[in-house]
Amino acid sequence: MAMRVEPLPYRVGQISTGTLLLIVVLLGVVAQGLYAFSRQLTEGLVVTGMRDIGTMGGPAWGLYIAFDIYFVGVSFAGITTAALVRLLNLHALRAVSRLAEVLTIIALILAAFSVLPDLGQPLRGVVHLLKYARPQSPFFGTFTMVIAGYLFASLVYFFLDGRRDAAICAARAGRLQWFYRLWAAGYRDTPAERERHRRVGFWLSLAILPMLVIAHSTLGFVFGLQVGRPGWFSALQAPAFVIMAGVSGVGLLIIIAAIVRTTLEAQDRLTPEVFRWLANFLMVLTAAYIYFMLVDWLTATYAAPLHESRVTSALLFGPYARIYWPSVAALVAAFYLLLRQFLTGRYSIAVTVLCGALVNVAAVGKRLLIVVPSQTHGAMLPYPSGTYTPTWVEYSIIGGLIALGTLLYIVFTKVFPVIELPEARQEMGHR
Amino acid sequence: MARYAMVIDLDRCTGCRACMEACKVENNTPRANFWMYVFRFEEGEYPNTRVWFMPRPCMHCDNAPCVKVCPVGARYKRPDGLVATDFDRCIGCRYCEVACPYGVNYFNWKRPERNQYLDWTDAEAAAVLAPYTNGAVPPYKNPDLERAYGPERRRIAGGGHLKGVIEKCTFCVHRVERGLQPACVANCPLFALHFGDLDDPHSQVSQLLRRRSHFRLLEEASTEPRVYYLGGKPPGSDTRQIETIRARA
Amino acid sequence: MRATLTRVIVLAGLILAAMSFALALPLRIPGVTVFATAPAGSDGAVPYLPALFILGIMLVFLAAVVYELLPDRSPPPWPPAGAGRRR
Repeated sequence: MAMRVEPLPYRVGQISTGTLLLIVVLLGVVAQGLYAFSRQLTEGLVVTGMRDIGTMGGPAWGLYIAFDIYFVGVSFAGITTAALVRLLNLHALRAVSRLAEVLTIIALILAAFSVLPDLGQPLRGVVHLLKYARPQSPFFGTFTMVIAGYLFASLVYFFLDGRRDAAICAARAGRLQWFYRLWAAGYRDTPAERERHRRVGFWLSLAILPMLVIAHSTLGFVFGLQVGRPGWFSALQAPAFVIMAGVSGVGLLIIIAAIVRTTLEAQDRLTPEVFRWLANFLMVLTAAYIYFMLVDWLTATYAAPLHESRVTSALLFGPYARIYWPSVAALVAAFYLLLRQFLTGRYSIAVTVLCGALVNVAAVGKRLLIVVPSQTHGAMLPYPSGTYTPTWVEYSIIGGLIALGTLLYIVFTKVFPVIELPEARQEMGHR
Repeated sequence: MARYAMVIDLDRCTGCRACMEACKVENNTPRANFWMYVFRFEEGEYPNTRVWFMPRPCMHCDNAPCVKVCPVGARYKRPDGLVATDFDRCIGCRYCEVACPYGVNYFNWKRPERNQYLDWTDAEAAAVLAPYTNGAVPPYKNPDLERAYGPERRRIAGGGHLKGVIEKCTFCVHRVERGLQPACVANCPLFALHFGDLDDPHSQVSQLLRRRSHFRLLEEASTEPRVYYLGGKPPGSDTRQIETIRARA
Repeated sequence: MRATLTRVIVLAGLILAAMSFALALPLRIPGVTVFATAPAGSDGAVPYLPALFILGIMLVFLAAVVYELLPDRSPPPWPPAGAGRRR
């Protein structure tokens, strides 16, 4: 069997010049982020645009926390897709399930990394959180659920789900054969094994689904339980976080699927049918989020207490209006395009991808608007209102993280088939 | 066990900010950090305006939002009512800061020596100061602030002003544990600030609170502050600061 | 055997998670010394409880790996058509 020289599917193991160039550029961006982080470690967080709430007139949380919740939000895609495939037997989405799982895992790694630069004492953070973390703090749920419940569970699911393809890849000679053998862990694709995996997949996705709701809700509770910050204290915060996570996660998944479809020539698997499902799913989630936004908006303008209404007016007409309205416009535009596709029945991958991009722009904007205005304009004592302009350090670190995520994704596509291998190939597995 | 509280007489306060000064000297707080801050307010429209002053220490709340949210238990409530910050424990996430409705938390954004009014590591400054200090510890290394306090023996007096941790008014725990008044109280020229034990019916704070009407800031947030204000009223919707401090670390 | 082991691991993980979560809460139960050491609202009973909680949750999901990777010695408890038959 070591005689086979047929290349691995989906360009696994082949690196073109273009890819190599992209990797070099991404490594450069990561290096720049690391340099910025080193500056921050030596000088302190003074190199960021964040300052103390109150007399210093700044937000204590800025870009890092906004992107942390964005990254955790994006991770929504993987588990949901897996659960839809497993629990509702949506076989149309099988082709994107691994794309989504990789997205989840990488997004969660980025989320964990983006908290570190936010901490004044990152090293202490790692040790003290494991040593002293308190369940009363909303951070407890966030960090334990994200690391243990969500990242680890996703890794387990991902590992088990990839065994069949690993076994197929391991049948061929190559430098990475040991890796595929290790992953396959003795998988031979017997009917018994397939049945066993089906059961495990079902139970795993059933167990991970509540994790998903808990993880995104606790992230919402980080803000929604704070009585001292007008604009945050709201029961709607947790469910809105779950929905917004879905919007950004599915949106990004659509973009990644489209890129993979063209670059890896996977048109036969990532069919328009797949995009139709994702587009409709995104439409429903976007509609739900717009509904939440309207409810929130009505409550905050109709009968809000003094400080609450100050935050709202800063959002709608004040310094944050230039982020708020474009974000709303992007969401509404995406919803309109998706709805039109749904009503006319004419689906276009390009339009769907555009919608995915629009909702992600909106998601970043909305995340920033959840985090910052309540700090700069939500003081309950008559402090002056604050300002926030991120510095090059913050942009570099966030850029570095995004580059790192992209890099990890590209590397993964080069070592493992990122789309589940079709059924026809399965005979190779247990020759 | 004592139940400490601070009483601030707004009728006496003239906004001289001696308490802010005393706090800075006592605790060597870094630049732009005001553990004690005095608001200078005005209200109304010309010619019917009113000017008044409101000192703002940490409220040492009984139901403190900062204590609730601290992920590692660095911020905790002592049995005597002081809300303490263990700077050996703090990871610098600033969650206490965003949770606090009073804006009393200050983060150490810079390295301690860079954040003082004088950089003692600077060779030129050191040469000028040498004859006066005799090589003594720099002021932000006040040994009293470095010691462990309370039965739990944790370092909560805010010494060192270590980079990347949160700090706030400690009610001068290092003085209170020795039976002294907090620096701001001891230095108020008009005796507008009082500090004492609510469990002692003869203490000055207990007597003042019995005799005079008082309020606490943002009681609607159910934080149960331990700082009481006599006279006047809480800041309202048209209360604005006359001049604002915009020092950014 | 395999199914039993999986159930045991899931149960052990859940118990570990629940216990470490409960102990990490700074409950102050009078008379129970383990609950009365920390100042109110600060530490849990012993350090590293959050790590144990994470470990507990991980254990629950690790059970899936055990279930899938552990080779059967006894015949599988479910008899789907064609199970046992191997090429």
